[in-house]
Amino acid sequence: MQVLITLWIKEWLALSRDLHGLAVLFLMPAAFIVIMSLALSDVFREGASRQVVFAVLAAGGPNVSQALADDLAGEGFTPTAAPENEAAAREQVRRGRPALVLIVPERFGADPAAKLKLLADPTLPPMQIAGFLARLQGATLGVKNAAPPLNLEVVGNPRGGKPSSVQQNVPAWLIFGMFFVVLPISALFIVERRDGTLARLVSQRVPFSMLLLGKVGPFFVINLLQTALMLAAGVTLVPWLGGESLALPSRWDLLAAVAASTSLAAIGWGLLVAVASRTLEQATVIGGVGNILAAALGGIMVPRFVMPESMQSWAALSPMAWALDGFHAVILRQGTAADIAPACAKLLGLAAALLAAAFWLHQRRRT
Amino acid sequence: MLRIEGLSFRYPGSDEPALREVSLAIPTGGIFGLLGPNGAGKTTLISILAGQLRGASGSIRVDGAPLEELRRREPASLGLVPQEFAFYPMLTCAENLRFFAGVQGLAGAKLGERVAAVTAFARIENVLKRRAATLSGGLRRRLNLAIGLLTEPRILLLDEPTVGVDPQSRSFLLDSIRALAGAGQTIVYTSHYMEEIEAICDRVAIIDAGKVLREGALTDLLRDEAAVVPVRHNNRSLEALFMHLTSRSLRD
Repeated sequence: MQVLITLWIKEWLALSRDLHGLAVLFLMPAAFIVIMSLALSDVFREGASRQVVFAVLAAGGPNVSQALADDLAGEGFTPTAAPENEAAAREQVRRGRPALVLIVPERFGADPAAKLKLLADPTLPPMQIAGFLARLQGATLGVKNAAPPLNLEVVGNPRGGKPSSVQQNVPAWLIFGMFFVVLPISALFIVERRDGTLARLVSQRVPFSMLLLGKVGPFFVINLLQTALMLAAGVTLVPWLGGESLALPSRWDLLAAVAASTSLAAIGWGLLVAVASRTLEQATVIGGVGNILAAALGGIMVPRFVMPESMQSWAALSPMAWALDGFHAVILRQGTAADIAPACAKLLGLAAALLAAAFWLHQRRRT
Repeated sequence: MLRIEGLSFRYPGSDEPALREVSLAIPTGGIFGLLGPNGAGKTTLISILAGQLRGASGSIRVDGAPLEELRRREPASLGLVPQEFAFYPMLTCAENLRFFAGVQGLAGAKLGERVAAVTAFARIENVLKRRAATLSGGLRRRLNLAIGLLTEPRILLLDEPTVGVDPQSRSFLLDSIRALAGAGQTIVYTSHYMEEIEAICDRVAIIDAGKVLREGALTDLLRDEAAVVPVRHNNRSLEALFMHLTSRSLRD
């Protein structure tokens, strides 16, 4: 333990004197949060094209549901099988698939008190909901020449209504910033290797696994600090500059779990790049470009809902998309531990695989 | 006695072995000089001794026991002062010393005591609070040496420890290394500077292309030199013998 603490102290001292590295880790995501939240605010306000999966749950049975779904399909709205009941529908929407469920009560059309209910995914831009409502109005629902009576419920959204640009952009750019620990981790590691410091530590029988763990601790704390500061930026800085304020989640423990899983995956990535790269230039290119590609693919730079459906399935390959799903489950959907479990499991699995790969590669090069 | 027998090593992907059946007997105490042109295999040998490279065939024993066993039993028994400035430039000298002492298991009063001792030995007391990046070449070499001495290793591997320093610092470093040998440490010393080897080493091995060409007491090698070195080398010295054995062609 003493060795590990000594390694952590050294890493802290080295990091605290690397102002450029700290600027990348803290100022870059903060700048992206502010700029992108403000720049994309209209997109979220007015919507964008998206393939929206919806379902209809009609009291009249599956055939009625299917007929209504067929009527409503098209122009970016794709029907899927109806949930068993309202509780199942609510649960599915809370998880984002389908994004909309229309519930048609008994005697709808005959009884003026019977209202439609539309359950909506909180990540769905309001424009998409408006588009669906327009199709609903045009569909044959037994109500002529008037908007159908309808209750709209956005499931789980702490704002109680529409999601905003800041709610999308804070987690997105926070994840982007967290993954940028790849640069300071690999830079310090490569300098250690180049200058013979690593060789000296190995000759002193400091296990390589301990050296790797020595980097995990400080960068884990850095990532958690990033999380706290970026959330604070969403709550204070963005509204101060004219944007909307970030609505914070009620489950801080789940938020911490997602942040921790994301951090470990990011650190694992940093360590693998550090071990695999022979020069600082290589590490900068592999780490930096890798992050940008993962961000572009994973819905960080361009929200996934504006991507075509085929692209959205590719997005599922990006660890940043997994992390974003986890943060959305907590921040937007007020999810439970079960909701963040898939994202956390994938991130932790990736972290373990990346750490193992870094260790294996180092051992292979030593022989 | 550090005894190396039939040591061979090939880097992965390389056609030529870096070491071929190297056998050396390095007595306890004293300074053993390892001479060779660039690429001869000196640093590879030092790296294997230091535990940085694995996969070598042959054996390395210290007083009859495998070196690896000694390193497992007494991790601090072997110290390395690499050719590079193997410390953290962004940390101060004191922070570097405390860090390397800490990762080798020193703590509390013992840590403070050893840091003070090596600081005094390397005469770096006045720069303890300075970041290592701001030190002159000579001071960096002294810090590099001080770190290698923190655990009072029985065997000290010095890989070109005087490269790039001024004559005053070189003289100080050589005196310091002599003092260490005088205190009973076994020192393996590599250098390109023949006059350094002649000045401080008791025994010398000349290696080239991974093979030991000559090994023995320095006085014996110099005495034998007259018999083997052609007349064109009219200065009888280690350098003349070295140039004769390794030929004059450029190596890199």
